[in-house]
Amino acid sequence: MEIMRLVVTGPVGAGKSTFIRSVSEIEVVDTDRRATDEALLIKKRTTVAFDFGRLQFGPDMALHLYGTPGQSRFDFMWDILIQKAHAYILLVAAHRPHEFREARRIMMFMQQRSPVPMIIGLTHTDCPNAWDAANIALALGYPNPNRRPPLVTVNANETASVAQAVIALVQHTWSGSLATT
Amino acid sequence: MAISTEKLTHILQSFVTSTTDIQGAAVVTPDGLPLAASLPGSMDEERVSAMSAAMLSLGDRIGSELARGGIDRIYVEGDKGYGILTSCGEDAVFLVLADKAAKQGLLLLEIKRTLSELKAVLM
Ligand SMILES: Nc1nc2c(ncn2[C@@H]2O[C@H](COP(=O)(O)OP(=O)(O)OP(=O)(O)O)[C@@H](O)[C@H]2O)c(=O)[nH]1
Ligand SMILES: [Mg+2]
Repeated sequence: MEIMRLVVTGPVGAGKSTFIRSVSEIEVVDTDRRATDEALLIKKRTTVAFDFGRLQFGPDMALHLYGTPGQSRFDFMWDILIQKAHAYILLVAAHRPHEFREARRIMMFMQQRSPVPMIIGLTHTDCPNAWDAANIALALGYPNPNRRPPLVTVNANETASVAQAVIALVQHTWSGSLATT
Repeated sequence: MAISTEKLTHILQSFVTSTTDIQGAAVVTPDGLPLAASLPGSMDEERVSAMSAAMLSLGDRIGSELARGGIDRIYVEGDKGYGILTSCGEDAVFLVLADKAAKQGLLLLEIKRTLSELKAVLM
């Protein structure tokens, strides 16, 4: 059985833990604790080490999904998790533009440490005031649509939608990450 | 904030200065923010707090998934010394950094004593 390790990263509340819970076939290992920081503005609990889930992908591949914490004080976990990753998805909440900078910072942190393929997943696109994909790509530093990582829309609460995003990530990884990142 | 940072800091400082072979101590929230600390100058309070929280949360999971029960304490033993994490009620984690020379039994006793002082303030 081949194992592909996928990392799910992005700012606080982007939907990393929810994403993994939506598709994992095992009970997810979660390390969410009661939030006492700014995360509280969005939700009650926040990830302090990592989420872990598993998903069978075809007859001979298992996907191991690792979700990172969102706050930069946990960047040692970002580092640990990205070191072994085969690919990663950066989740960005489309309706919280003030977090795009942080998303970009996380992406640069990952890119500095690992050359593996990545895609961008836009969550919360169903929420009021969500930005459109082209403008978010621009904010993340990709002005040219032909020279950027694949960008998908995903609702972390919906299993089918998350499965689509996972497939896009695996396919992008298989395609050898040609030209994009 | 409701918690008296001053009192916590005072308890930590006297713990660190009065116990031999202790190099630092901190009390942090379970989501990794510092409540109070008395650490060696080279260590970043925020980073230490985040690491403590991550470690204790994983210890908790190991305790439950590998059927070790509730976790009282986590030890990290390096060739230069120890890092000991003790859960301090619902809302806090107590980290102690000790020298390699520290006597384990004594250390545990001191941690226990300080823990009850901290809990009294945190209540
Ligand atoms: N409406 C809507 N809600 C979403 C979507 N994606 C995620 N959510 C919600 O956003 C919240 C995300 O919470 P988490 O999954 O804990 O976020 P996280 O990224 O793991 O956050 P940290 O661990 O704190 O960094 C949850 O309440 C989800 O239900 C989406 O596409 N649309
Ligand atoms: Mg999370």
